[in-house]
Formats: sequence, structure tokens, C-alpha cells
Amino acid sequence: MRRFFLRALNPFTTQKAERELMREIEAHLALLQDDFERKGLAPGEARLAARRAYGGVEQAKELHRETRGFPWLDHLLKDLRFGFRNLRKNPTFTIVAVLTLALGIGANTAIFSVLDAVLFRPLPYADSNRLVTLLNYGTGPIANANYLDWRDQMHSFDSIAAASYWSPNLTRDDPPEHLYGLQVTQNLLPMLGSKPLLGRLFVPREDRLAANHEVILSQRLWQRRFRSDPAILGRTITLDGEAYTVIGVMPADFKFPPFWATRTELWIPDPVGADPQNRGGNHLRIFAHLRKGVSLRQARAEVAAVTARLERQYPGTNRNVEVTPLKQNVIGNVETPLLFTLGAVAFVLLITCANVAHMMLARSADREREIAVRSALGASRGRVLTQFLTESLLLALLGSAAGLAVAFWLIKILVRLAPAFLPRIETITIDAHAILFLLGVSLLTALLFGLAPAVQAAAANISGGLKEGGRSETGSVRRNRFRSFLVASEFALAFMLVVGAGLMVRSFIALQSDNPGFNPHNVVSMVVSVAGTKESPTGPRALFYDQLLESVRALPGVVAAGGINHLPLAGDLWGWDFLIKGRPRPRPGELPNAVYRLVTPGYFKTMRLPLLSGRDVAQSDDTRAPGVVIINQRAADVYWPGANPIGQRITFNTGPNEKPVWLTIIGISADAKQDDWVSKPGPEVYLAARQNADFLGAAATHSSYITLVVRTSGDPAALIAPAKKAVWSLDRNLPISEVLIMDRVVADSTALQRLELFLFTAFGVLALVLAAVGAYGVISYSVARRVREIGIRISLGATRAELLRMLLADGLSNALRGTVVGLLGALVLSRFMGTLLFGVKPTDPMTYFGAAVVLGITALLAVSIPAHKATRVEPMSALRTE
Amino acid sequence: MASEAPERMPVLPGTLDLIVLRTLYSMGPQHAYGIAARLQQVSEDLLQLNQGTLYPALVRLEQQGHIKGSWNRTENNREAKFYSITKAGEKALKEETVRWRRMSNLVENLLSDEV
Repeated sequence: MRRFFLRALNPFTTQKAERELMREIEAHLALLQDDFERKGLAPGEARLAARRAYGGVEQAKELHRETRGFPWLDHLLKDLRFGFRNLRKNPTFTIVAVLTLALGIGANTAIFSVLDAVLFRPLPYADSNRLVTLLNYGTGPIANANYLDWRDQMHSFDSIAAASYWSPNLTRDDPPEHLYGLQVTQNLLPMLGSKPLLGRLFVPREDRLAANHEVILSQRLWQRRFRSDPAILGRTITLDGEAYTVIGVMPADFKFPPFWATRTELWIPDPVGADPQNRGGNHLRIFAHLRKGVSLRQARAEVAAVTARLERQYPGTNRNVEVTPLKQNVIGNVETPLLFTLGAVAFVLLITCANVAHMMLARSADREREIAVRSALGASRGRVLTQFLTESLLLALLGSAAGLAVAFWLIKILVRLAPAFLPRIETITIDAHAILFLLGVSLLTALLFGLAPAVQAAAANISGGLKEGGRSETGSVRRNRFRSFLVASEFALAFMLVVGAGLMVRSFIALQSDNPGFNPHNVVSMVVSVAGTKESPTGPRALFYDQLLESVRALPGVVAAGGINHLPLAGDLWGWDFLIKGRPRPRPGELPNAVYRLVTPGYFKTMRLPLLSGRDVAQSDDTRAPGVVIINQRAADVYWPGANPIGQRITFNTGPNEKPVWLTIIGISADAKQDDWVSKPGPEVYLAARQNADFLGAAATHSSYITLVVRTSGDPAALIAPAKKAVWSLDRNLPISEVLIMDRVVADSTALQRLELFLFTAFGVLALVLAAVGAYGVISYSVARRVREIGIRISLGATRAELLRMLLADGLSNALRGTVVGLLGALVLSRFMGTLLFGVKPTDPMTYFGAAVVLGITALLAVSIPAHKATRVEPMSALRTE
Repeated sequence: MASEAPERMPVLPGTLDLIVLRTLYSMGPQHAYGIAARLQQVSEDLLQLNQGTLYPALVRLEQQGHIKGSWNRTENNREAKFYSITKAGEKALKEETVRWRRMSNLVENLLSDEV
């Protein structure tokens, strides 16, 4: 123990100990010399004899030092000092290496931070790994009666909760606002382990008693709309025209749900309401907590068994129910692209390492003499090795420090570029995880780029290094081979990244040039909500919508205006089953289905969504006229293949006991994008809004709004204010929300692809530059080392062209080999890119060819500059270089 | 093999500390050179010892508190660091001696058993 402290203290007492040691060795030598003199040797001879008898003084010192302290600690400090001196002595090398590393390490840290925040970190709920969802096909909602049956019959979960989307109008508090909320069962918030910031959560009795009209606010809403009023508890607020009592406020970091209705700011109880028998109206999302000791697999088995039993009992109601970990719902869409990005950025880091390894190798070759001297003075191979590794580590740490700055900057860009739907985007920061990752990466890189030069340095031959005078013409074969390997791997990695980037570019171009079906330019849209206002009931609503459209059309600069329930790409997406007149009734669960939209006259004209045949809905298609519907091309192809659907009749009242309201197909429209840009549009129907009872206010809470679409002759943004004014001139109490410029909606729908494009292109370019720098460095280095050989060749009659060819072949063969390996790698890896790509195959030959050309040109440029220089060598001066 | 001239042998690893302690115990304070000379003498020059290699043992023993060094003058009026054994050193010597005896007996027994 005592010895441990003394040894650990040693580095700080070194100077004293060194002096003491010198004194002792000298005394020892003096005594030895005395002895030899007594034996009759002359003083000079005696001194030499004493030295011989003593052994190596320097080695003895080294031994002493090693026992005195912890040699490693001592050496580390010394190596660090020495390393610093070395790096300072060679600022160009240091700056280039540190910058290269900073780019590689910084980019990796930034991407890691994104992945950590979005993918890796657990969701912010208690025991979040055991939270699952039960949804149709893993995404779709569930009907009341099914939920209640599951709740009573399933035992894998200790809690099964349900939530339904609810977006009320907040009125009486100015300005009126359309809010996003959730109706949740009483057990949901406790299941998440959530505690309110103020007040309380819902208590059991309230589940069946919506009449209580209690509401819990998010901290943000409380702050935004009620100025953090401390007396908010017990206060009554008006939602959809009804009074609700505030019973609680959730803390700022509480967000639920983490996917789907992510803008939720308030919660009310009782999503099942007064309709517990309903098996057809799918609107509940089911959240459950796995019972302790029950695995996901067991739960899935039980859910499969229970739903199969219910399906037999109530056909068509319990199919394709999937149990999914909640986190999977959150990250499902972005997991693959993000992991791919991490892979790409790791490649960049590898290239970075290869580059710095080059530089270190070149430098260690130049330091052969230094190493030889150090070995002669008693440095063991291990010591030389650790000395070099310490320098690498130092470089890597400097690179990480600079990389941290790069990461901060990159994250800022990423967060700005990232699509809004990227989950948990607001939590992306450089935190302890990221710093740990950064340190780990710098250690790893130090090993990667430092090991080979260090091993090589340690293996250097002492006498060779001293004799050669630090200049060998061709270098060792092994070292050259390793350098070639580095260049080749850089090109292999760069090729894969360039192919990745190329595929992204091609895919993005395909996406951009894809036709949405409508013309988004110069279109602005906004949602006007009537819930809880005097226009809400059936009578006034139709009139109000007509007036609304009229007053907007009257605004200057308006070319056309229309209304729809849900805007494509930005709005909700409702699917609805229907029956076709004259066909036998399909089995339950196999009914024809289509995306369900309600439009006013003028919608198709405003969106410039072409009608391929038939006619548009007209002002005369109202409640007194026979029902009409327009279908899209896809619906016509799927349900009336080879036939003309116009004149055919369908109904959406599909219940066996329902009285069908038949709608006649009057037109076929082109296919328009539905809820996302990438998927092909499915069957879709457009009903005449002005003859639809729900839209006109028949006791349906979900259809209490209209989405206005307005085409302008000029800048659509300039129309926002006048349009709002026109709405409020009809009723000041109407909330306007979702004001969107259609071009922006289209751009946002490819935001993830744009982000991927940006990242892959950036990585690809970075990889190219680094590979070029690597190839350039290696060739110029080998040219510099071979100046004498080149001089001899020239004086022996080699022409410049021959020399150039020789040097180019040398450099290009490595690039070529690397490219071939990269090609194979890209063929294998790009298969996993399939889901990221649109309109281009992962093996797209054009892209591969293009990447090969780009890499070839890069290699040629990088190699030919130093090669050219070499051929201009003056033979005489080259031979004199020594 | 045994008929050839006696070969110089290196110090058995781990025994140097014991040897140094014993030397200081029986001879009183000694400088490094004195210790080395004594070893040479006792071993009848069979022990091959670079005198520089004594230092690690001395440092180790001093750090363990088994010996103490102080500067003094030799009979020839040379300056030298004299090491003497401490109380803790004597105790360690006793234990180590017992251990060494036990070990060498054991090895001896094993070896004589073999024939």
C-alpha cells in the first residue's frame, strides 16, 4: 500500500529522485574504480573497467525508474509531453490530421446524438419497455365493443387503456382556437406512471360519466392560453361550446401519445362514451402494459387466440390485430433510414482513419532515425509502440475536441432540416451519452489509425535506421503494401458512399418529379371549425359554408376556392367500406374500401385535379337531389376493371340492418396523393359535401369543420390575412387552424427523404475529398521518397511519358482495386436501402456507372498532380538529394 | 555437463530482495557497491550480477520500508549511500527465510525423490 502511493507520487518527485540516482551511480562507479586501482590498474583503465563491471548506466537508470514509479504512468506523462512537442513541431501535419479527424468524429457524434434521442433512449414513461399497442394491422383503430371485450378477456396485461382523437374548439377565451386533444380511459395516465404538476388525474368513476366534463391540460397549453394561472384548478373553460372543469395540469416533459396524435395538449375522460356496443366504428387506439413475467410472445399468442374467438362470434370485426411495442410505433418509420445513416457516417470515419494512418505512416518513416536512437538508448519495442500510440491518442483527442464543435454545428443543421414528424426531435442534444460515444470513438480511431504506424515504428531496425541516414528509396515492401491497402480501402468505402448518395439523388429526383395528381402551386388552405358555435347545428351550417366560400371567392387575387373535409398529404385519412349495387354482398371484412372525402363544388377546379370523365359535383347536388359521388382512377381500375363505372351506384351504409343511401358515380378523377408522398394512391371517393348529413351537422363531432382550399393568382401567403378576415367577418368566434401553403405541404411530405439526401450527399462528397487527399498524399509521398530512383531512371533514358505512366499505374491500380471491392460491397449493402428508395432500384446501373466515373476522375486528379511534378525532376539535383 | 567449468548463473528471480536483506542484516549498513561486492564474494563469483541491477531491488525495499538509506562517507572518504535494515525489514527477512527454506526443501525433496 505504502509502495503504491510512493510509486504513484513518483512522477511528481522525479527530479529529486533522478538527482539522487545520479549521485548514487557515480558513488558506485567511484568505489568500483577505487577497487580496480587497488588491483593495480591505471586510473584511466580502472574507470573503464568500473564501467564495464557496472553494466549499462542508462539501462540501470531505466530499470531504476521503472521500479521507482509506475512505469506506465511515468511513461504516459512523458509520452504525452513528448507527443505534444512532436505535434507542435509539425503544425501542418497536426492541423490537417486534427481537422480530418474532427470531421469524421464530429459527424459520427452528431448522427449518434440523433439516433440516441430518437431511437435508443427509452420512452419517457414508467416501465416503458413493457408498454404495447393493440391496433389493426399495427396502425389502425379499434371499435368500442372490441376494446371492452379485450379488456375483460385478456390476461397478459395488467392494464389495457384506450384513447381517441379529439380536437375541440376553445371558445369564449379570445382568440378562438382549434385544439388537439385526446379522450382517454381513466387507467391510461396512471399506467404511464404519470403524475400531474397541479391537481389530480381522472378517477375511476369518471370513465362512464363524461357528463362530469373534466379536463386535464398540458403545461404548454396552461402557459400559452391561461398565462400559467395558479388558480386554474376548478376553473371552467368552454370546449366545443360545452363547459369543462380543469382538474389538473401535466408537467412540461409529459407528452402523450408519442406517435399518431402527437400535438395533443389536453385530455378528457371516457372515449367509449354512450356507445359501448359499437363494433364497426373504429376510433380507439389501445395501449396496454404487459403483466410482469409475460413476454411479448405470450401476449401476442393470447391476443391472437382471443381475437380469433371474437372473430368467429362477430365476423369481420377482429381481424389482423397486432401487438406492437409502443416504441416500435414511435420509431418504426425512421428506424431504417437512421440506422443506414449511422452506417454511412461510420464509413466516413473509417476513411478518416485511413487518411490519418497514411499521414502517421509517412511521418513514422521519416522518424526512423529518431526511433533507432531511442531504441539504442534503452527504449524497448513496447515503449516505442506506446509512444506512438500515445501520439495517436493525443491526435484523436484533439480531433474529438474539434469534432465536438463540428457535432454541435451539424446537429443545429440537422434539427432544422429534420422533418417535423421525426419523433423526440426536441430532445436531440449532446449529452453524457454523446460525450461517452465521442470518447469511445476517439479511442477506437486512435487505435485504428495509430496501430499500424506504431507497430511499424516499433519493428524498425536500429542499425538500419541509423545507417540509412533516414532516407530509403523504396521503403520496405511490407509498408508499401499496407499503404496500398489503405488507399484501396478508402476508395472502396468512398465508392459505397458515392453509390449511396447517387441512389439518394436519383430517388429524390424521381420523388420530386412525381406528379401529386393536383397542382400545388399558388394554393393556400386553412381549416375553419364550427364546433360549439352558432353555425354548428344542422340548419345554419350549410348556409354558412356557402357564404364562407362566396366571401373568399370575392377576395381580390382569388382564382378559385373550394372545400374538402381532409386535405391530401396534410389532413386526416378516413377509409370507409362500401357496397356496390347489383353485386352479391361480400363476406364481412371483405367489403370494398376507399379513402373517403367530402368536397364542395370548386374543389377539383381549385386543386387542378383533373376529372378524366364525367362531371364535377355541382351547386345543385344538395340534400334534395339524388346522391352523387366521384371516384378516382384507381378505384375504377380495382372495382370496375374493364367496365365504365359512371352511372353505377354504391352505398356507405353497409350494416345488414341499415337503410342504404345509394350514390351514383358521376365522374372519375385522376389519382391524387393521399396521406404520404411515397405510397401509390389507393381507391378514393369524393362525396358531395352539400348533400352529406354528417358534414352538414347531423350529430357527428368529427365533421364539424371545413378545409378551405384557395387558388390565387399571386403569392398564396399574401392571401392568408384577407382570407382570415373574411372568415371572421362572418363570425368572430370561429377558430382557424392549419393554415398551409400547398407547396410547403408537398415539400414537407418529402422532408425525411430530403434529410437523407442531404446527409448521404454530404457524406459522399466528404468521402470523395478524403479519398482524394489520401491518394494524393500517398503518391506524393512515394514520389518524394523515390526522387533518386526517378532521377536515375531519367538519366538512364526513361522518357517523361514512361515515368508518368509508371507512377499513374501505381496510384490508379490501388484506386481501381478499391473501387472493385466497393462495387461488390455496394451491391450487397444497397439491398438494404430498398425501402429508402423511390423509383430507382438499389442496383441501378446508371448510378454505379456514374459513381465509378466520379471516383475514376477523382483518383486521376489526385494521382496525376504529384506524378506530373515527379516527371519534372532534374536528374542531377535528384541524385544529389541526400 | 557437470564436468565442465562452473557456469555463471543469473540471480534466481525473486531472491534478490532476500539476499540484500540478509546481507544488510549480517553485515550492518552497506552501500550498493558493498552489497554487490559481498554477493560476488559469497557466491565465489558464480553469481552473474550487473551491479546496476541492484538498484531496482534497493528502491523496492526502501519503498516497502524494509531498508533505509542515508548518505555517508566510506573508509576511503568517498561519498556513498548506506543502506541499513529496518525493524520491518528484519521481520520480513525472518518470514522470507522461513518461506525460502520451506520452498527449497520442497524442491529438494522432489528432486531427490525422482531417482
